[in-house]
Amino acid sequence: MNAALLNEISEKLQRGKAKDVSALVTQALEEGISAEAILNEGLVVGMNLVGDKFRNNEVFVPEVLVAARAMNAGLKILKPVLSNEGVEPLGTAVICTVKGDMHDIGKNLVKMMIEGQGIACVDLGVDVEPAAIVAAVKENNAQLVCLSALLTTTMMGQKDVIDALVEAGIRDTVKVMVGGAPITQAFADEIGADCYTLDAASAAREAKRLILEMKGA
Amino acid sequence: MTASERFRRYLSGQPVDRAPAIEWAPWWHLTVNRWHTEGLPTECASVEAIQEFFGLDKCLQTGVSYHTPATPPVPGQGLGIVEDEADWERVKRTLFPPVETVIPEAHFDYLQRTHNRGDTLHFFTVEGFFWYPRTLFGIENHLYSFYDYPELYHDMCETYSDWLIDLFRYVFSRFHFDFMSFAEDMSYNSGPMISEACFDEFLAPFYRKVIPVIHEYGIPVFIDSDGDITMAVDWYAKVGADGMFPLERQAGVDVSVYLDKQPQMAFLGHFDKMCMKHGKEAMKAEFERILPSMARGKVIVSVDHQTPPDVSMDCYKDYVALLHEYCGKVTHKDGHINTCPVFKK
Repeated sequence: MNAALLNEISEKLQRGKAKDVSALVTQALEEGISAEAILNEGLVVGMNLVGDKFRNNEVFVPEVLVAARAMNAGLKILKPVLSNEGVEPLGTAVICTVKGDMHDIGKNLVKMMIEGQGIACVDLGVDVEPAAIVAAVKENNAQLVCLSALLTTTMMGQKDVIDALVEAGIRDTVKVMVGGAPITQAFADEIGADCYTLDAASAAREAKRLILEMKGA
Repeated sequence: MTASERFRRYLSGQPVDRAPAIEWAPWWHLTVNRWHTEGLPTECASVEAIQEFFGLDKCLQTGVSYHTPATPPVPGQGLGIVEDEADWERVKRTLFPPVETVIPEAHFDYLQRTHNRGDTLHFFTVEGFFWYPRTLFGIENHLYSFYDYPELYHDMCETYSDWLIDLFRYVFSRFHFDFMSFAEDMSYNSGPMISEACFDEFLAPFYRKVIPVIHEYGIPVFIDSDGDITMAVDWYAKVGADGMFPLERQAGVDVSVYLDKQPQMAFLGHFDKMCMKHGKEAMKAEFERILPSMARGKVIVSVDHQTPPDVSMDCYKDYVALLHEYCGKVTHKDGHINTCPVFKK
């Protein structure tokens, strides 16, 4: 395997060079490197490093966005090959901003970082009703529900979703992660969420941990 | 002592009868709606009327727009009207009205009349060099623009800063605002959205261009940025800003840290809005937390954004009574407070 090429994919991803990442992923496939190796040892490694730097305030939101864009450029080429090779996503997350809240930058960041862990994301957007989240969990057999709220007036919407999952009888089949500016660990505990993280990079790591935990890995 | 005299002396580090007792932000409509059911007279709906009702020092904001009726409307929440250079060339022609038309004559009369009354602070607000491109690009494209359209970003801010200088020279020759603010909101609960390198390249040149013009008129400059500004406060200090607000506690902000590293700056806000619903003792504890910082520096306590709707009117009355009590404890009579840079000039 061409480790130098995989390393270059990671490097270009970290610098947000989407065209370069596309070209290098294509080159790697042509050289016979498996799509799974390109994903895990090139793209995911690069995105993890971006996440670490983001958490340490070494890179900021624009750098994460362009890196995620580069990751998606690589993924676009890899996805059909991964599918042919029978490689499944690590798990599935349903993600959204809760009812009454129109903010999506934080949610989008978390989504990009979670996808960077090889987890499929079903993005329901903003201002989402609890019933729609329950339906999406059922439809996609999701293991994770990720809820964002930016406002003190909408944060209780996260509890409404947890209540709806209980009412639908599927609370035990999913882990619920919450985040957003007014959210704290105490609030997450109060509403019965499984996980709260302060930033998107930590959210991605926790998402992977929770899914692996649910799979018993 | 008039409100303006008190404010200026407080920011100059000179003795005052008490600290200013203001709310910088208007109230959340949901909060006002609640208070209307709890005894706030229904006719009491404007910011000025509510300030009067609760017995606060009056503090009124004048904002202006660089749009004209010909400016294309924003197509939706978080979206922009400029995607690339061609859009900018088209949209630019619809922006930046003649500066003489931006504030109506009647408003200048109102400003002077309320200022002369002696009980009102006035501040002037424009969009900052993070906020302004964000409104034009839209939220997400703005964040990409630092990488995708760096030259366009500079061109947009160059044009805007030229217009702002003309605006400031006209407006400040007509009325002396007590302070001004640049709306930025460039931080969130984990820190700034952009790096210092990005700030230095894309924002700093334009602040260095316009702040000296504002300072010529003896007006202190505050930066309005939500979230954790612990890193950003140093960046704004180096481009000449005199202060920042609202210093949100929920984002982990601690003003005492800022007083250590930027003692020449003034800070406004910082009272944790989330404690208010818990009543008088909780609010008193929050004032006790801030009091040492008020005594050390130019800290003007105000709710750290807007009073949430879970705060009853009686509870808010308790807040205002405590605000007056604690403002009365800070007179800076021992004269050890640094002055804001603008007042050294």
